[in-house]
This record gives sequence, structure tokens and C-alpha cells, in this order.
Amino acid sequence: MTKLLEVKNVSKIFGGLIAVNAVDFTIEKGMIAGLIGPNGAGKTTLFNNITGVYTPTRGQILIDSQLISGLQPHEIQQRGISRTFQNIRLFGQMSVLENVLVGMHSRLKGTILEAFFRPPRVRQEEKEAAEKALDLLDYVGLGRQIAHQTARNLPYGSQRRLEIARALASDPKLLLLDEPTAGMNPVETADLTDFISRLRRDRGLTVLLIEHDMRVVMGISDRVTVLDHGEKIAEGTPTEVQNDPKVIEAYLGKGAVH
Amino acid sequence: MKQKILANAEIAAIVLIGFIALITGGWSVLILTVVAGALVGAAAPPNRAGVLRALIVGALTALIIVAVTFLHNAYITQLPKQDAIPVGALQPTTYGLALLLGIVVAVLVAALRAHPNKQRGRTGLLILVLFFAVIFPFFEQSVQLFWANAVIVSMIFTLQALGLNIVAGYAGLLDLGYVAFFAIGGYTIAFLNSPQFNLNVSFWLIIWIAAAAAALFGFILGAPVIPLRGDYLAIVTLGFGEIVPIVFKNLEAVKIHEPVTAIFAALFNKPEWVRCLVGCTEPVNITNGTQGITPIGRPELFGVKFMTGQYIPWYFLILAMLLLSVFFISRLRSSRIGRAWVAMREDELAATSMGVNIVRTKLTAFILGAMFSGFAGAFYGSYVSFISPDAFDFSISVIVLCMVILGGTGSITGVILGGLIIKMSDLLFLDKFQTVLGGVLQATIFQSVKSQAMTNFLESLFNASQYKLLLFGLILVLMMRFRPQGLVPSASEDAIT
Ligand SMILES: Nc1ncnc2c1ncn2[C@@H]1O[C@H](COP(=O)(O)OP(=O)(O)O)[C@@H](O)[C@H]1O
Ligand SMILES: [Mg+2]
Repeated sequence: MTKLLEVKNVSKIFGGLIAVNAVDFTIEKGMIAGLIGPNGAGKTTLFNNITGVYTPTRGQILIDSQLISGLQPHEIQQRGISRTFQNIRLFGQMSVLENVLVGMHSRLKGTILEAFFRPPRVRQEEKEAAEKALDLLDYVGLGRQIAHQTARNLPYGSQRRLEIARALASDPKLLLLDEPTAGMNPVETADLTDFISRLRRDRGLTVLLIEHDMRVVMGISDRVTVLDHGEKIAEGTPTEVQNDPKVIEAYLGKGAVH
Repeated sequence: MKQKILANAEIAAIVLIGFIALITGGWSVLILTVVAGALVGAAAPPNRAGVLRALIVGALTALIIVAVTFLHNAYITQLPKQDAIPVGALQPTTYGLALLLGIVVAVLVAALRAHPNKQRGRTGLLILVLFFAVIFPFFEQSVQLFWANAVIVSMIFTLQALGLNIVAGYAGLLDLGYVAFFAIGGYTIAFLNSPQFNLNVSFWLIIWIAAAAAALFGFILGAPVIPLRGDYLAIVTLGFGEIVPIVFKNLEAVKIHEPVTAIFAALFNKPEWVRCLVGCTEPVNITNGTQGITPIGRPELFGVKFMTGQYIPWYFLILAMLLLSVFFISRLRSSRIGRAWVAMREDELAATSMGVNIVRTKLTAFILGAMFSGFAGAFYGSYVSFISPDAFDFSISVIVLCMVILGGTGSITGVILGGLIIKMSDLLFLDKFQTVLGGVLQATIFQSVKSQAMTNFLESLFNASQYKLLLFGLILVLMMRFRPQGLVPSASEDAIT
């Protein structure tokens, strides 16, 4: 297998707080990787370093062997990394369809002049984009009939799915999901877990999944990385990680092992 | 909420329009019932029940307006110092027609909105609006309403507000010095087509030059500031809005001592043209200072000259520009770039994570907004035929921002509504109100006040136009408190498109 994402010795320091401390890991193409750890372990911060929201204090991040750390978020997105957010960040006042279309922003070419005069090429491009967006809404299980609703009015679970549809719209190589099942009931969680494994099957997508719910990650991940206090404390297959004494200790402290 | 017969907003609108009818009176009843009918129809839910509701509320509203107008015509016109309204022409049939028109328009608008085929419904609405827009100036002229000037200037300001709507409404950038670009547009036409430099460039060319000049300054100002985070843009634009009129005020005796011309002068043995080019010896009057520049050239199209007092050609020219702008701006909004603007306003971090280049997208919005303002400025300069630094006061930035916020940030319909309401109040209704108030005071308190000084004091105390800015500030505060999304929220508009 080929390496898709390499995180090399990455640290992120906020003032005196070392949120991520010299973390190393690699994701191979086509894999579902899990990133777990108790609250405040630095998982989201690591995501933000990968997506360019933060620049790593030290270390390097590469995608397809190209250095991306230090680039702007939109430049990193254009290199094929797409994400969702732990606390949903939709474009609340826009329609569901437009939310997905924004996800395609970097794949579309229309300029200002073309927006004014709408030549056939742009008409065609917009038509295809809308069609693709509607298909995506079906694909994530929202259904195209809600396309013209205002995003903010959707129920919570649907907002999570819409965020995933928006992230998929750019045809990313790597999808980063930050606690996608947070706030969901067990049935919704199971549905979404199924959906994530389907993503890889249907689209050959590589997924990096943050979860605090260990069971979700254990069920679908090929490899799991465990963070605690910003440091990588374990890595391996779900079973290996589950039996690692360090992991049990980190989690037991928080009472998260059931 | 649904059980209430009238929503709070409807009551507010009826009271407001009724009040306007009370102070304007006369023939304006026909315009006001039509406008009220359109608003009632637009506010009704787009379904069968909504049409019925529009019928009832429309009838009620039209009745109130007609009754109030009757009051005005019967009593207020009798007060001292009133404008002469040709009331004699107002027959009972006029009131009947006004009532009927109000109801018909309310029902028609509601029905078109409820039309099962949305596209057709919208086309119908557009035709209806255009119909009234086209007959308005002829009606206005034949009954001598004297609204044309106010309407034309309001439309020019609305044009500007549509531009600010791109910046503040779509992209969510706070531009507090928007008037600067309006001034640049105005002075561009003043330089290029007036006796100031004896230039006579074609109006149709100048409007584009003015737009380009404003866009250029938008770029020069925006490029260094927009990449910064936080509220720097608001501060810098505020400063720019103050500086530009001052610069225009001071460029009246410019004397440049710079080496290049001096070298040229030495080389060519001081020929006349070098001296006059930048005025090495004589100070050059570029802007004519506080006196301003006049007369500014007027456009000409198919043999029609757009002269002062010829409101009908001007009205249609500005209306066409407004429609053209609405057309292009709505296309922009529904394009990839428009989506990026709104996404950025809604959540900048999410937008950049979805591949939107924030700096470039903000800069585009800022420059396009500046361009519209410059464009509107050129029309303004030519229409008024006189430009001076006083015309570009800070208050204009505030008023235009008021228009956008009142109407509904990000909604084209809302901004047009807000623009017309605010500027018409500014130019027309407040003055009318002043006249009526003056008459009422004259007939009541002033009669018993003996001292002239006291009368003068009271007169200036009750001078409504003094409270203009206070009123607009109040509108801003009230809107923020009770309806921050504006009269026509943009979400409802997106749902249609
Ligand atoms: N922008 C920031 N500034 C300062 N501290 C931060 C910032 N972002 C995160 N942190 C801190 O970094 C640590 C890791 O946070 P986070 O990555 O959100 O953890 P997790 O996602 O694993 O729950 C926390 O202690 C948090 O308070
Ligand atoms: Mg987190």
C-alpha cells in the first residue's frame, strides 16, 4: 500500500500548552484510520494542523509525499483533504443544495465575467454541479427533496450528514471526520458507522476518523492511533490498542471503558 | 402567532403607510394603496389561504389609507402654510379607484406568489412591478405630485445600496466609508465632462471609467487591509470615507514642484505645455474646492437629451440601470462566487476549509461593491449636474448602510425596499411632515405665543429634518433589536431562487 498522509513529528504549542506533542503517524491509501483519546487529548488540534487551520509549531505534514504544512486551508483542501467539524459548522442561512455546492467551489471554474454573462460552458458546469450535489444528498441519505430547505432548519442528525455531503462534494482523497457521531443516539450512530464503511467501499475513499466513543472506531477502523495529553501513546489494530495497558489507563482515568 | 389576525410587522407597516398618507395626502393615495397592496400581497403566505388573507388585509389597509387621505384633504390642507395640492381634481371616484387598486394589487401579488409554477409566478410579479414602474412617472407628472426628483435620487442611492449589499450583505464586510467610492465616481464625471477642464467625454463612456476608477481605489485600499483579521477594514474604510471628500475639498490650488517636470522644462527650454501640464508656476485648480464643479454634462440617447427638470427620461434611464444591476447582481449571487461570499459570511473557517480563498473572495466583493458605488456616483453627478465635497458627507455612508440593514442584508428585494423607504423619507416625507407639523403648530401653539423669539425657538425645535440622522440611527437600533434579519430576510429570498 502507498502512503497517503504522513504526519512527521508534529507539535502544536499554544502559549505554554503543548496541545500536540511530537506526533508521528501515517495513513495508507484506502484505509479507515481511527484517532481516539480522552477529551482534550489534542485530536481536534491535530486535525486543524493537517487542514491548515493551524500551522504546526514543529514537524511536517505531507500528502502524496508533498509538503502541505504551512499552506492555507483552502490550498490544502485543493490538494484533496476535506473535513467535517466537531461542532457542526454549516452555512446556516444557505440552502442545503448551496451548502453542498460550496463544497465544490474549488472544482468549479466560473469567473466573475462568466457569472455575469453565463456562457454555455458555465451553464453546463452549474447544471452538472447541481445534479451531482443532489446525487450526493441522496447518497448520504438526506434525499434530494430537502435541497431547497435552509440548512439551519434541519434536524441535528441531518446537519451532520449534510456536513459529510459538503465534504464529499470536492471528491477528496482523504476525508477527515471529527466526532461525526457526537450527540447521536445509538441507532443513528450505527447507521452512520455503516455509512462510513460504505464510503470506502463505494468511493475508495481514505478516512481519518476522530471518535471519543471507542466502540465506533473499533468496529470499522483498520488502524487506531491513541492520543493522550497531546502525545501518541499507542497505535495498532483495534484489538492491539484495546488491550494496551497505557490506553486502558488513559481511558479508565476518564471512566470511558465500558 | 398564526392565530393573530395581523402580525406585528403588518400593523407596523399599516401604521407607517397610513402616517405617510396623512402627511402627503392628495393624489398620493393612488400610489400608496398600490404600494401597500403589493406589500400585503408579498407578506401573505404563498397559498390559497394567503390569497384570501391578502384580500381581507389588503381591503383593510386600502380603506385606512383612503380614510386618512380624506382626512388630510379635508382638514390638513386647511391649515396655514400648506403646499397647494390640486385637491379639486380629487373626486370620489379617485378614492374608489385607490381602494380598488389596493385590493386588486394585494390579491394579484398573493395569487402570483401562490402560483403552482414558481417560474411563471415570478415572471407575473415582475411584469406587474414593471407595469406600475412604467406608468408611475406619467401619473406623477399629470397630477403634479412633485415626487419625481425624490424618486430618481432614491433610485440612484438604491443603486449604491445594491453595491454595498454585495460588500456588507453577501460578504459580511463592514464598509463604513462607502461614500468615498460614490465621491470618486461623482468627481470622475465632473472632471471628464464639465467646464472644469473643458472636457466633454461621452457620458456613456464615463460611467464605465467612473466604475473602473472606484474599483481601482477599492483595490488599492482593500488589498493591504483585507488580509488582516478583525475590524481593521471598518476602521480603514471609515478613515478613507473621511479623507476622500477632504482631498477633493483641498485640491483647489495645487502647485507641484517635482523634479521631472523641471528637467523637462530645462531640456525643452520651458515650453508652454510643460508648464501648464502640472502647473509648475501657476497653482492648478483641480476640484474647485468647496464651490464644487458645475455644470456637469448630461447624457444623450437616440436624440433624447436628459436635461434638468426632464424627469421622465432620467427616471427611465435610472430604472434601466437599476434593473440591469439587479439582473447582474442576482446572477453573481447565484454563481460560484456569490455562494463563496455568503458561505464566508456565514462561517469563514468552514468556507476556507471548503476551498474558498478568503482573501481573494473578500477582495472581489469589496472591489465590486466599490465599482457599483462609483457607477452610481457618476449618475448622481450628471443628474444633479453639480458636485461638491459636501455631497459626500459621512452621513451618506450611514444612510446607505441603513438601507441595507433595514431592507435585509443580503436580500436584493429588501435592499431596494429599504433604499426607497429611507431615501424617500429623507428627501420627501420628512419635509412634508415638517410642512404639516408647521401648519398644526401655527394653528395651535404659535397663536398663543406672543414673543417672536419663542416662536423661532419652537420652530427650530420642531424642525423634523434636523432629526434625520437621529431617526436613521433609531431605525438601525430598532431593527437590530426587533428584526435583525431586515424587512425581507435573505433566507426567504434564497428559497425562491
Ligand atoms: N486555539 C487554541 N488556543 C489555546 N488552546 C487550545 C486551542 N485549541 C485547543 N486548545 C487546547 O488544546 C488542548 C487539546 O484540545 P483539542 O484538540 O480540542 O482536544 P480533543 O479534540 O482531543 O478533545 C486542550 O487543552 C485545548 O484547551
Ligand atoms: Mg475535539
